[in-house]
Amino acid sequence: MTETHQFGRTTLPQEQVSARRSAIRWEIFTIVYTSITIALIALVVGNSQAMRTAWIEDMLSLVPQIAFLTALIFVRRRPDRTHPYGMHRAMGVGHLVAGVALLAVGLNLAVEAVTGLVSGEHPTIGTVVLWGHTVWLGWLMVAVMSVVIIGPVFFYGPAKARLAPILHNKLLYADADMAKADWQTTVASIVGVLGVGAGVWWLDGAAALFISLGIIWDGVRNTKAAVVDLMDQRARTHDSRGPHPLAADIVSYLRSRPWIADAGVRMRDQGQVFHIEAFVVPRRGRVRLDDITRTAEGVADLDWKVQDVVISPVEKLPDEADTGR
Amino acid sequence: MITGASLVLSLTACGLSVPADPDGTLAAVSGGELRAGTSPDGSLVTVDDGRPAGPVVDLVEAFAASVDAEVDWTVASEESLVTRLEAGDLELIAGGITADTPWLDRAGVSRGYRDIEGAGDREIVMLVPLGENAFLSRLEAFLDAEVGR
Repeated sequence: MTETHQFGRTTLPQEQVSARRSAIRWEIFTIVYTSITIALIALVVGNSQAMRTAWIEDMLSLVPQIAFLTALIFVRRRPDRTHPYGMHRAMGVGHLVAGVALLAVGLNLAVEAVTGLVSGEHPTIGTVVLWGHTVWLGWLMVAVMSVVIIGPVFFYGPAKARLAPILHNKLLYADADMAKADWQTTVASIVGVLGVGAGVWWLDGAAALFISLGIIWDGVRNTKAAVVDLMDQRARTHDSRGPHPLAADIVSYLRSRPWIADAGVRMRDQGQVFHIEAFVVPRRGRVRLDDITRTAEGVADLDWKVQDVVISPVEKLPDEADTGR
Repeated sequence: MITGASLVLSLTACGLSVPADPDGTLAAVSGGELRAGTSPDGSLVTVDDGRPAGPVVDLVEAFAASVDAEVDWTVASEESLVTRLEAGDLELIAGGITADTPWLDRAGVSRGYRDIEGAGDREIVMLVPLGENAFLSRLEAFLDAEVGR
């Protein structure tokens, strides 16, 4: 076996190594930035349900970031007897944890918002003293929310969105997606607070409900994506929009081998890398071991994500195998 | 940032004053009657023949004067005062209520003010109807100037 063909090897090519290093730096920057914004919002949150919901959403955004960094520690480890498939699924677990956290807290916040609206609670927002002037706290809320949005929407959201496809990382992609959509939360909370200012008290609860529905939707989407991956669904692209094209590439490569008549694959996403079982129907009744070895190495050479390859010569392709047709 | 600024500008352009009272408390009180409630509390609020007196009472009277209102005092227990506030029969409750008050869910609580004579080292707050933000802001602005927080 050459260096390339070690099942589930975890060494990455240079592009992915720099992308991963960049992703780690952005995640640490995001965690620091978010900690500061959480403290800032805490100063102005007051009695506004919309502000409270936005504040909790800010805290929730730390979950995928911490999950990503934690999973990376495990994903680096080489496969051994105890973990023969490697620890790549740690990324899938991280994705699931993030999704469930969002869903649970989102539901909680939605219930709170609806209860507040139904019982007709008018939010009381008074004043604070700033440099000798008595200022309505609502203005401070609007100011803080307008400033806080700059980081996720203009800086780390797009940066992480660029890195996610390079690393084929669904958790990072989900994190980036939520950061870019943060502007909706900001607009909702500003509308809610200004609504209260104008005397339309229910706009605060409505804004809180809107924000929590967004959180629930993020939770549902991510939980679903993480669960189907953990259940070994056919591998999909990093944004889960369609089946991953690599399966078709692998099948055409296999069919191009002189000793293979027909081929099909089962490809599942282990967290960032794929696990491939290739079923091949040989032209002749016998196969040569070095043909199998060379073909496996050839498949692994196709892409950094395709390291765990098993080739099975069969008489007939199974129905569920992807034949690229 | 631009969204926030444009929303703020469009609101002020509409001639709305921010903050506003959903139930119009400040407008009702200005130039009219301020129905206030209080409970006896040491030297802070003394009740003499059904009429309250003391530093807090003086503050409320001065606030009423600043909005051209006459104060109509009710002396009762805190709980019955809060119930009346909720029902809309009172606009203000003042006395020995501190920032730790358990009435947070049923009344709007102002910021706390120390250095009120007779309060000791307590942080005194006043209660207004929930959500009446214009009224509350006017009250706090007045207290800021008078008590000098």
